Amino acid sequence: MMYEMNSGLQLARAYVPSQVFTQRFSAMEGLSKGTIFPELYMPYRPRRY
Amino acid sequence: MWIYEKKLQYPAKVGRANLRMAKYLITQYGGPDGELAASMRYLTQRYTMPTGQAKAILTDIGTEELAHLEIIATLVYKLMDRATVGEIEAAGLGAYYADHDKALYLVNGEGVPWTAAYIQSKGDPVADLHEDMAAEEKARATYEWLINLSDDPDLNDTLKFLRQREIVHFQRFGEALQIVQEYMDSKRIY
Amino acid sequence: MNRDQVAALKELMAQEFTALEFHLYLDTHPTDQRALMEYNEACRQLMVLKQRYQQCFGPLTFCETSGYPWQWIEEPWPWQISY
Repeated sequence: MMYEMNSGLQLARAYVPSQVFTQRFSAMEGLSKGTIFPELYMPYRPRRY
Repeated sequence: MWIYEKKLQYPAKVGRANLRMAKYLITQYGGPDGELAASMRYLTQRYTMPTGQAKAILTDIGTEELAHLEIIATLVYKLMDRATVGEIEAAGLGAYYADHDKALYLVNGEGVPWTAAYIQSKGDPVADLHEDMAAEEKARATYEWLINLSDDPDLNDTLKFLRQREIVHFQRFGEALQIVQEYMDSKRIY
Repeated sequence: MNRDQVAALKELMAQEFTALEFHLYLDTHPTDQRALMEYNEACRQLMVLKQRYQQCFGPLTFCETSGYPWQWIEEPWPWQISY
């Protein structure tokens, strides 16, 4: 409970921050990227072995 | 109810027929972290979600996963197109051919058929949403391993699309989890 | 399937994908008015594109009217198309 008072977050609980929509890709660019939201676009960078 | 649209969600293409990749990719059709498991997990869990937001997101993502199931089927179909029996056998798909010819079937990469044991429906919305978030991460990782196995840029283009969808779905389930946790807190009697 | 039809189909996919993205976003952000406006606009544009596509190339879904003979059975099906 002390933790909750300090940060607003509780222990033993998972948090994903809520997205705030501001910008978007065009329809065609969004389709090719797999999302229309720039802040959610996280392309794969393969690891080198 | 559901209504079919006679189109894919994404223009799925392959550069060339490739039985080796077909053998690996089929796991996203009927494997543990595949699209059927994803769809059935969400569409089964939605009935016991406590809020309208959570019911909606499970319904909508469960439906989108059916579109992904169709994309995977299309890719496997195209990867196996026009293969000869000799090529199928050389690619290690002889046992698959004996049971299915080149038809689509719900198995993982080793031929193990799909099972409801891949999914859970716990009745506890927090536990179920955690499973859903983990499922999205496991599917994302599977697409990354498949991209590592593939040297076909056209195939990888569609695999990257599907991988990115897992990230968006994770975000939505995470937001739903927050909404559900706050709702459960508001109902709790101290 | 000719290149014009494939191009029209991709345009339709892109517009429907935009609507889907806002749809999912709104499930967890039901009071975001700007996203709601984007969603409604995306749906309006999608309806126009779908009507135009179906007039040229036949029905995409249940309960779209059909010319004679029954057009739903026409090939190619989605997995047969070279995009």
